[in-house]
Amino acid sequence: MKSNRSRVGLAGLLACATILAASVVAGRSSAESPSQTLSSPERFAGIEDSETRSVALFVEIGNVLTSPRCMNCHSANDRPRQGDSGRLHQPPVFRGPDGRGLPAMRCPICHLAANFDPARMPGNDPWFMAPREMVWEGKTLSQICVQMRDPELNGGKSLADLIHHIGDDKLVGWGWNPGIGRTPTPGTQEQAKALMQAWVDSGAICP
Amino acid sequence: MSAITLKINGRDHGPIEVRDDLSMNDFLREVLGMTGTKFGCGAAQCLSCAVIVDDPDGTSATMPTCIAPATSFDGKSIRTVEGHASNGQLTALQEAFIRHFAFQCGYCTAGFLNEAQVLLERLEKQPVAREALEQTILEALDGHLCRCTGYVRYHEAVRGVILAKPDLYLL
Repeated sequence: MKSNRSRVGLAGLLACATILAASVVAGRSSAESPSQTLSSPERFAGIEDSETRSVALFVEIGNVLTSPRCMNCHSANDRPRQGDSGRLHQPPVFRGPDGRGLPAMRCPICHLAANFDPARMPGNDPWFMAPREMVWEGKTLSQICVQMRDPELNGGKSLADLIHHIGDDKLVGWGWNPGIGRTPTPGTQEQAKALMQAWVDSGAICP
Repeated sequence: MSAITLKINGRDHGPIEVRDDLSMNDFLREVLGMTGTKFGCGAAQCLSCAVIVDDPDGTSATMPTCIAPATSFDGKSIRTVEGHASNGQLTALQEAFIRHFAFQCGYCTAGFLNEAQVLLERLEKQPVAREALEQTILEALDGHLCRCTGYVRYHEAVRGVILAKPDLYLL
């Protein structure tokens, strides 16, 4: 009886270990899977209704906007986040009056002009948090869209400014070259710009 | 490989050839043998490795050395924990750290000392109101981790130095 229980226990343990190993492998392959791509605007050309097409384009752009590379700096509560899990930034830095930190701990003190991969340190010049007007954390893609589209809510940016921000901004572009240990933003910055342009051209409709 | 030249505690170093992937912390500790600057977390999260960088505009800031390449310090002027005392005479901060028994194992002390020194120099130029002092000290020391949990004593030591000369640091 005792030995039977031991066998069941051992079998259970092995089963758990197998499941655990399988989930680890699954998790790893999911993180490394090529879902990090973006569709081109042409992919949406077949959608005849322009409003539906516009919404579909924005949903595709949403893959960029909601990536950790964007969300970590468009975070709420004046604290940036870090890593693919979006954990609170350590050391504990705060937005500060200009989005570049408090006097004792400014962003460029650690975030230099380029990534320093031996220490897994991300870098770009400049480095700062998104303005308070552009906090996205905790919002749905639809809410983010409404906020982005409205100059009253986005810090005075026009639609052309938004295309430029996503398509040409150097700090945004860092998201596609984040160094080791961080998943890049899906697609390329050029593809994201093309999608933004197509979304604006189609009427900038929100989901 | 790149050649770097820099000033440390007022003394010129270099040009010295370094690998591009060499961290500033390794440069100080392994190349120059200046082990006063510690290596803690290796991810700029404890700041035990922070040194003072003096900018040409007269301002100073601490900078962690574990996450920065040595090459990024080329042409810079820095101060490390070895540069605070002069001719065996400790600074007011160092004296206060000892008096308050601010550190136990001492591993984080160099970082705290550098940060507090930068704060004192900043307050000399931009004094704050007495009411804002506690928050100012808190924000300045906030990023530094002390595994012996000596935070209160560090805070008290820094506050003591500032309050000893309120005309220098406070509005």
